[in-house]
Amino acid sequence: MTENKFNADFRTSACEQYEAMLEDHLNGDIGGAEAANLTEHLKSCAGCAGALDEAEKSARLLRVGEPAADPGAGFARIVMARIRGEMDSREEKSIWRPVVSLAWKLSATAGFALVLLVMFEATHQDRNQNQRQHEFAIVAADEAPELLSDEARLPSNRDETLILMAEDGHAKH
Amino acid sequence: MTRVTKNMAASASALPLALSRREKGEQERELVRLAQSGEEAAFEELVRRHQQRVFGLVSGILRSREDVEDIVQQIFLKVFLSLKRFDQRSAFSTWLYKISVNECWDYLRKKKVRPLVYEADLSEEQVSRLDGAASAVRPPESPTKRAEVRDLLERMLENLPDQDRALLVLKEMEGFSVEELAVILDLNVNTVKVRLFRSRAKLMDVYRRRLKTKPAFPGAGEAKS
Repeated sequence: MTENKFNADFRTSACEQYEAMLEDHLNGDIGGAEAANLTEHLKSCAGCAGALDEAEKSARLLRVGEPAADPGAGFARIVMARIRGEMDSREEKSIWRPVVSLAWKLSATAGFALVLLVMFEATHQDRNQNQRQHEFAIVAADEAPELLSDEARLPSNRDETLILMAEDGHAKH
Repeated sequence: MTRVTKNMAASASALPLALSRREKGEQERELVRLAQSGEEAAFEELVRRHQQRVFGLVSGILRSREDVEDIVQQIFLKVFLSLKRFDQRSAFSTWLYKISVNECWDYLRKKKVRPLVYEADLSEEQVSRLDGAASAVRPPESPTKRAEVRDLLERMLENLPDQDRALLVLKEMEGFSVEELAVILDLNVNTVKVRLFRSRAKLMDVYRRRLKTKPAFPGAGEAKS
């Protein structure tokens, strides 16, 4: 068994330029000046010579492996069936797409309307409550003024203010 | 299948050797054009012509054989769906192989699982058989022994990084040339050569590590028998 000589220690940085050539040599794709150059280098570089030896062994090992088997004549038909299935499902999707899009638009509009309705209802309720309080204050002022706080007696306009001031002045005198 | 496609399919299968490379190229361009115009039969013929090579390419890159068929189907589906965008500036096969390679890397990226293969799981006999195959000028003749060595080789290859494994399998088992590999992997030809040479060294490194755990191989096995 030869030792694994493909070791960085055995090779110099100059050896890197020979790597592609070594692969070419392995594939029988080298000739002329390049081949002579490589042969010369291999004579003086044990690292590269060892690496080439290892690479040749790897090629022999890999030759044992076989290409993937042909999937058979039926495979193309299976592929076409899958393609047709995919196209059909895409077409189906495209038929329903406008409907789906309309449904989304409708639901968005309904949601928006619902929000508006809730907001309107909330404002309306507020206004009703204020109005009811106001009505209550008027009724209370008419029928049982003693129940009202001073706040309820506050003038609501200029005339009332003047009347109130006149009443106050009259009372003091 | 239209008459044109039928004729093309028939001539391609009946006279595969008689057709020159240029004629084959012309025929393929015509098939692509027909498929682009929506003729399914033309695309089916393209699938038939390339299925084995794509199978080899995919099984060369992926480790799990169960998924190969599904991935290959997916590749052809993808090719069919994007065929209209293919401008025929490069060969159809080159474009197809590029899509195949990308699909494989995507698959591996998604899976992210690399089965661990322990190296001390070989018997002495297996090691010697492997060593015999490495030293022999010709691969073992007995189908059983060939199958066994192939299985051992497969286990060794599983210890290599995906790219190294893919390069070695595609080059040595599936018969892709360095130039073809450069095109489909988007690499410089010289880079492919250097990577191939280094991948070989890594493979042999795995092989040596296996041998180290076992006593030296007895003889050269198949080689000397």
